[in-house]
Amino acid sequence: MSKLFTTLFLLVAGMSNAAAAGGKALPLHPESIFGEDSPFFWITDSMIMVWMAALLIFLFCKAATKKMSIVPAGLQNFAEWLIESLYNFFGSILGEHLVKKTFWFFGATFLLIIIVNYLALIPGVGTVGTISSDGNHFRGFLRGGNADLNMTAAMSVTFAVLWFYWAITENGLKGFFSHIFAPKGDFKGIMLLGMALIFFLVGILEMISIAIRPVALSFRLFGNIYGGEQTLGGLMSLVPYDWMRFLPALPFTFMELLVGLLQALVFTLLSAVFLKLICDHGDHDEDHAH
Amino acid sequence: MNIILAVAAEGAAKSGLLDTFHVNWPYFIAQLINFIIVIFVLKKFAFGPIQTMLEQRKNRIAEGEEKLKRIETQLSESEERTTAAIEEANLTSKRLIDEAKESAANLSEQKTQEAIASAQGILSKAEAAAKSERDQMVAELKQDFGRLVAATTANVTGKVLTDDDNKRINEEAVASIQG
Repeated sequence: MSKLFTTLFLLVAGMSNAAAAGGKALPLHPESIFGEDSPFFWITDSMIMVWMAALLIFLFCKAATKKMSIVPAGLQNFAEWLIESLYNFFGSILGEHLVKKTFWFFGATFLLIIIVNYLALIPGVGTVGTISSDGNHFRGFLRGGNADLNMTAAMSVTFAVLWFYWAITENGLKGFFSHIFAPKGDFKGIMLLGMALIFFLVGILEMISIAIRPVALSFRLFGNIYGGEQTLGGLMSLVPYDWMRFLPALPFTFMELLVGLLQALVFTLLSAVFLKLICDHGDHDEDHAH
Repeated sequence: MNIILAVAAEGAAKSGLLDTFHVNWPYFIAQLINFIIVIFVLKKFAFGPIQTMLEQRKNRIAEGEEKLKRIETQLSESEERTTAAIEEANLTSKRLIDEAKESAANLSEQKTQEAIASAQGILSKAEAAAKSERDQMVAELKQDFGRLVAATTANVTGKVLTDDDNKRINEEAVASIQG
């Protein structure tokens, strides 16, 4: 036990040392593991973290579904609780019909984001690395998966494509455009013309909003996670003694646990709301009106 | 925070926004593939089997509830049928008992009447027999008495009585008895 503690202490102290050396911040972009000239240049430090998360998820799924029984126990019980809770959560936003169709995306995205976020909090991620000979450039060996804009953009672009697909399959092409541009309400005569113009202009704004959504989703997640890692690194460099650099970052590590969960929730929740907005046919309001 | 801003400003100043964040096609496509693989893995190995199991369990519970409702309905129907059968049995048994009582009363009455009739028959027969016997005895007694009176008369008077005397004395004696 004491050996384990010593090892952990040295690891934390070591990472603090590396991060704080020269006060170099984590760069805004991921770094290629094998160098830019290698054929494997596309393998980045953040991608390694995503692979680790994928591997963890795969192993968990295999273990949880290895011996499925009608009376659940152990990992199966936990997995069922997790998936059922997520299903009910997204079901409460999307409704029974949509959640059946789209849960695989929202559930998987939530799990991937939260696991990648939590893996990024393991001591050493984003802080253990090398500093270039000129002392101006820090290169980490591992980097939080969501502290890479490519990863967050990949998720939000995938959602954007799926959003169009689901919106068109649910509303039809005509319904999709009328949902965005057509006047809502029962107008006649000159009022109809006026409202048609207003709703057309609102539709253009809506199209701009739709175009901005993936950008906002990806930058929000990236910004929060990258900011968290920078905060932890920055706090470590505040302390003059190497052996106690971990101390100021410790409370913020707990806060990052909360941020990791919240950001996973925010990303998937907003995505679900965007989808619900375009697929909502106003049945609920009509029910109330009656 | 200053470090972040400094890094961002430095990066943005050097090149465009996408270059600052190293957003380029190879990295983006690689991350996209990673994401799609994770979604596929989760869908195939986690959501698929677990949701099937949840659905299976939900169906089982629904089936169980359905069966329970059916059993409850059957039970209440059975209870109703049993109550109705018991009521019907009670009514039938009551009717049978009443009928039996009535029949027994009738039979008893009939037997009583028969017994009375039979007893009356026996009585009248006995009376007739007794009367006949008495008549016969009276006749015999009368003959004996007549003979006795005639004999006594003959003895007292010392006279030999003729048949006519005997007949007259007998008739007088019998008449005196009857009178």
